[in-house]
Amino acid sequence: MNPAVSRGGRRSLWIFFALLVVFLYAPILILIVFSFNDRTFVSFPWQGFTFRWYREFVHNSALLGALRTSALVATLTSVVTVVLAIPASILLVRRRFFAKGAVSGLLLAPLVIPLVVFGIALLILFNTVGIPLSPLTVAIGHIVIALPFAILTMVPRLERISVSLEEASRDLGAGPLRTFRSITLPLLAPAVLSAFLIVFTISFDEVVVASFIAGDQPTFPLYLFSQLRLPQRLPQVIAVAVVVMTVSSIVVIASEVGRRLADRRLERVANLQQEVSAG
Amino acid sequence: MSDPTTRATDAAISLQEVRKSFGRVVAVGGISLDIADGEFLTLLGPSGCGKTTTMRMIAGFEEPDEGRILLRGRDVVGVPPNKRDVNMCFQHYALFPHMSVQENVEYGLKLRKVPREERRRRVAEMLEVVRLEGFEKRKPAQLSGGQQQRVALARALVNRPTALLLDEPLGALDVKLRKQMQLELKRIQHELGTTFVYVTHDQEEALSMSDRITVVNQGLIEQVGRPRDVYERPATPFVADFVGVLNALEVRADEVRDGRVVVRISDRERLVVPTGDRPVSAGTELLVAVRPERVWLRAPADETSADSRLEGTVRQVVYLGTLTQFYVDTTLGARLVVHELSDRRASGFVAEDRVVLTWDAEDAAILRVE
Repeated sequence: MNPAVSRGGRRSLWIFFALLVVFLYAPILILIVFSFNDRTFVSFPWQGFTFRWYREFVHNSALLGALRTSALVATLTSVVTVVLAIPASILLVRRRFFAKGAVSGLLLAPLVIPLVVFGIALLILFNTVGIPLSPLTVAIGHIVIALPFAILTMVPRLERISVSLEEASRDLGAGPLRTFRSITLPLLAPAVLSAFLIVFTISFDEVVVASFIAGDQPTFPLYLFSQLRLPQRLPQVIAVAVVVMTVSSIVVIASEVGRRLADRRLERVANLQQEVSAG
Repeated sequence: MSDPTTRATDAAISLQEVRKSFGRVVAVGGISLDIADGEFLTLLGPSGCGKTTTMRMIAGFEEPDEGRILLRGRDVVGVPPNKRDVNMCFQHYALFPHMSVQENVEYGLKLRKVPREERRRRVAEMLEVVRLEGFEKRKPAQLSGGQQQRVALARALVNRPTALLLDEPLGALDVKLRKQMQLELKRIQHELGTTFVYVTHDQEEALSMSDRITVVNQGLIEQVGRPRDVYERPATPFVADFVGVLNALEVRADEVRDGRVVVRISDRERLVVPTGDRPVSAGTELLVAVRPERVWLRAPADETSADSRLEGTVRQVVYLGTLTQFYVDTTLGARLVVHELSDRRASGFVAEDRVVLTWDAEDAAILRVE
């Protein structure tokens, strides 16, 4: 019998699910609690509620600088990656061409290359060519890492946009560019937004490659790592983490809600057509 | 087929020896066809026969490997679809889901830089023609299948194309709606006088709507003609089979006289068939067809003046409502289908009854000469 259907099976699946949720989210919950604990050492007992750590990090210019660097790198990375991923996805979904398998393999390979290897390789490359390390070099590294994620986000959406919509546009007198602008891009927009957010998050988070090629302007996660040596800074770091997490949760949830609303619109059309042809 | 170089080119659409292969698969194997201005022409054939590929070549979505495609006398091979003066109605309508009905219909006019006021007027006019006034602000998802179909028609026709290409446009609708839309399409075509090129595999649709039908099979034209001609005088066994029910008899001509072939089967049984323009002489092997509703069922004792007379035994009777269908094994061995109106004059034969099948010479046709 299918364990998802039998009564005992269902119960153990629920227990498994509960454990999963606890291990995923309990640490985050503890983090939030400690960010308000008025004590330098991150441990119980609770010593009273405070905004002290939040106040302190707002005045920590090194930390704010690292945040700015990361924001810059992540913005640059996500814009460039998405701009590259759109034509790449269209090519993979809409066209048949020589060595398509090899090309898609090359585009998606960064998914499986160990980041340490990639970081060292980039460092050697930049040194050899003579490009000084900066937030820009970090962005270059992040674009390569993030490109497959952006492509994999857009391809399924693109596959659901019927080719005949683009053909209808051509038929009515639109050239290829106009068709892309008026038909393909608006319908692809939710996936573009998702890709943008995913890439931004990947870049904002990334430590391994950045640690090799960031030069003397650390990104935010690099700065956090460097601060772990100083126990008195830890509560501040926690407070920043909570802020970043809250902001990113809000953005992700908002975009997901938006995507679902847009999706439902497409789905209604598809369902209607199915109903009609079934009837 | 006549020599393409001598063909008139004043037709709305002229296909001249058009060929198209996909890899090793030949989709269209050499089609020549003139479609007149204002004509309702149907490309009829089974799926994979090349009818859709032919239409897509007219629209510009596929380029022919060989041959010419003329739109009002201009060779359009190599011209992209957006620069061809034809519009297409897609199988699943392909309405832009993010645009309202108004925006969908005016899409082509906007691209042609038609001024705003005229655009408004023409969209309103066209929505009136397809009877969708008041739906301007709706999105495609808020419309029924039939309404979506009308929007697709309006979106194409508002551009006043040389021809409208329709790719199985009613395939997604249920039977009732389909019948209704058939009438609507005819009305709209009549009202606007636009050339319609209609692709379908539904013979009934083809017969009821077309001015002319082109029956396509395996990338080649089997027959071009008015619906009545195609149905009553099929040129090939394929046409006879695909358009209607194939009732075919393999026989040998005994005598040819006054443009008629006579086949003597027994003392009381014989077939008479017009030769058409076939080269037939005594002794020629023939394949002869007769439509099920042209055959009369009689009792063996009945006197008859009909040209053809053939005896047989009823094997099965199928009641279809308006019609009753009889399967009769003839003395020639072949099984014939006979349709009889299920009215008060119905013969009332049942299985295993001995019967005589009769029909007039003009109701039969030669499908093939061996």
